[in-house]
Amino acid sequence: MSALQLIGSGLLLVGVFLSVLAPLGLLDFPTSLARMHAATKMTSLGLALIALGAGVAAESAGLFGIGVLVAVFLFLTAPISGHMLGRASYHAGQAPDLVHDDLATVRPDSPANTTRPVGRPSVLRMIPLVLIWVLLWRDAGAGVWLVGVFVAALIEWTRRQRRTSARINLRGSLIFLGRYAWTVILSTARVAWEVITPRNDQIREAIVAVPMRSNLMPAALLVANAISYTPGSLTVELTEDPLILYVHVLHFESVAAVREEVAELERLVVGALGEEQPV
Amino acid sequence: MNDVVTLAQVLLGLAGVLAFVRAVLGPNLVDRIVALDLVLLLLAGGLAAHSARAGSELFFGAAIVVALVAFAGTVIVARFIEWRDT
Repeated sequence: MSALQLIGSGLLLVGVFLSVLAPLGLLDFPTSLARMHAATKMTSLGLALIALGAGVAAESAGLFGIGVLVAVFLFLTAPISGHMLGRASYHAGQAPDLVHDDLATVRPDSPANTTRPVGRPSVLRMIPLVLIWVLLWRDAGAGVWLVGVFVAALIEWTRRQRRTSARINLRGSLIFLGRYAWTVILSTARVAWEVITPRNDQIREAIVAVPMRSNLMPAALLVANAISYTPGSLTVELTEDPLILYVHVLHFESVAAVREEVAELERLVVGALGEEQPV
Repeated sequence: MNDVVTLAQVLLGLAGVLAFVRAVLGPNLVDRIVALDLVLLLLAGGLAAHSARAGSELFFGAAIVVALVAFAGTVIVARFIEWRDT
C-alpha cells in the first residue's frame, strides 16, 4: 500500500466510524429533535470523509476534486433538511420536553411575502459556476469551457436576483472557514461522545430566539448553516423583518449563553461578508 | 485497499440496518423520515467508498444522485408534514 492509499483508507475508516454512530444515536436519543442532531451532524462529516478518503485512496486528482464537491454539497444540504424537519416536527407538536421555548408565542409568516429590490446579474459571480462545470466534466477543452460559460450565464440571468451589498473579504472568509471547520469537528465529536456514553441525563432541550444584528440575508443564512454545526444546536426557524433565528439547543444553560455563542458566529460571518448599510 | 473498502461497506450496511430499525419503531413520521434519509445517505457512502476500489468516478455519480434524492425527498416530506398540520 502506498502512502496515499494509507491516508485515504484512514480517512475512509474515520468517516465510516462517524456514519455508524449516526444510527446508534437515532436509537439512543430520547426525542425527535435530539435524534435529528445525531443524523445531521454525524453524516455530514462522516460522508464527506468517506468521499475525500475514496478520492485520495484511488490516487486520482479528478476523483478527489469530485469528492470535495460532494463534501461541499453535503455541508450545504444537511443543515437545510435538518432545519426543515426540525421545523415540521416542532409545528406538528412533537417537541414536548422543552425547558425553554421562545417559539411558542410566535406565528411565523410565510417568507415568500417579503419583496426585495432586484439586483443586476454579475459576470464575476459566473466564474465559480464555470469552474464547477469544468471540474464536473473533468475535461478542460474549449467546448466544455464555452458550454460552461453559457450555462453560468443562463443561471446568472434567469435566477431571481436580490440586491445585497455583500463584499467578500478574503481574510475574514479564511478566519470564518477555519473556525467553521473547527466547529464542525468539535460538534461531531460532542454528539459522538453523547452517543457512546449510554446516559442521556445531560440533555436539556430548549428553543431560543436570537435577534440578528446585521440585516444581510446571506449573512443570516450562513449563520443559520453554521449554527447547525455548532455543538448541540440546530436552526429551527428564521423570520424576516426583523431577522430572528430560532435555535434548538440540546444542552440548555441560559438564554444569554446561546445568544452570545450565535453573536460570535455572526461577528465572524460579518467579517467575511461585510455588513449591509441600513436602507 | 480492497479489504478496507469491504470492511467499510459491511459496517455501513450494518448501520443501515440499525437506521431501518428506527424507521420501523417510529414513533412518529419525522423519526421515520430522518431514519430513511439516513439509510439513503449511508448507501451513498457505500457507493462513494466503492469508487476507491473501482478507480472510476461512475460510482461517485451514483452516490451524488442518491444523496440528491435523499435531500429532495426529505425536504418535500417536511413541507408535506407542515402543510398537513396547519
